[in-house]
Amino acid sequence: MASIASSSLYNALFRRNYTMLGAVFVGAFTFEMWYGSTMDKIWDKNNRGRQWKDIRSKYAEDAEEEE
Amino acid sequence: MAPLTNASRALARSSLRSAATASASTTPIRAAALSTTTSAQGASATSSYESPFKSAGNTNKIPDFKKYMSKGSGGGNQIFGYFMVGTLGAISAAGAKSTITEFLKNMSASADVLAMAKVEVDLAAIPEGKNVVIKWRGKPIFIRHRTAAEIEEANKVTVASLRDPQADDDRVKKPEWLVMVGVCTHLGCVPIGEAGEYGGWFCPCHGSHYDISGRIRKGPAPLNLEIPSYDFPEEDKLVIG
Repeated sequence: MASIASSSLYNALFRRNYTMLGAVFVGAFTFEMWYGSTMDKIWDKNNRGRQWKDIRSKYAEDAEEEE
Repeated sequence: MAPLTNASRALARSSLRSAATASASTTPIRAAALSTTTSAQGASATSSYESPFKSAGNTNKIPDFKKYMSKGSGGGNQIFGYFMVGTLGAISAAGAKSTITEFLKNMSASADVLAMAKVEVDLAAIPEGKNVVIKWRGKPIFIRHRTAAEIEEANKVTVASLRDPQADDDRVKKPEWLVMVGVCTHLGCVPIGEAGEYGGWFCPCHGSHYDISGRIRKGPAPLNLEIPSYDFPEEDKLVIG
């Protein structure tokens, strides 16, 4: 079962150079998105309660009045 | 002494001659001499030197790699290898892209600089047919509220006949509002409004004439007056920058 899956993977992606390259670029794109969102989540978790989006609810009405 | 030297000369000559005539016979002697020396050396070394290949017997025998070989067909290893190559390639591509974008982001103007570099103009204060000059990023900006006749005049010009061919529609977002950087494209003087032969701008420095759309018509300037990036966020409001 595993060999069938791996051989189909090989035939689909790795056999031809352009599919390999395309898979690499698509992988790079998705990896970058995933990496960025993960790092943002970690940052937000470490700085919870200190960022504007966390404390906006306290001051939002004042800001609207100013404008 | 003399007979002795003569004899030695004769000996040398005869030996040379014999060497020239029978060179074939001398070579085996030399070879034999060489072989004798090697055999003498070999004889002295046999006690300490042993060839490492002697015990192997047939050196063409291929060693057994069975221990290191894949148990299956090898497809899994192939997939693994390509997967690792591809993953590393993807990660390095993402890293290279992010490096470049971060550098470019760092070098470009930040949001506060951009916010300071904008100018807001209230257009309701400018009556029709009037020029206004404002300062934006250290440069004068000409804003003209054009009349319908002026718009018509600007559109009547044959574009192909211009030095820097540009239609009036390409130079304005709203035909009644002409917004330009007020710097002569020749050497950077500030042209005078409502002057010149074409009813537009006239540069006093070297006599460039611009028409009512800010296009160069006469004089040394090579290009039309530059159009900054601007927008009308709402009616009667102009944001330059």
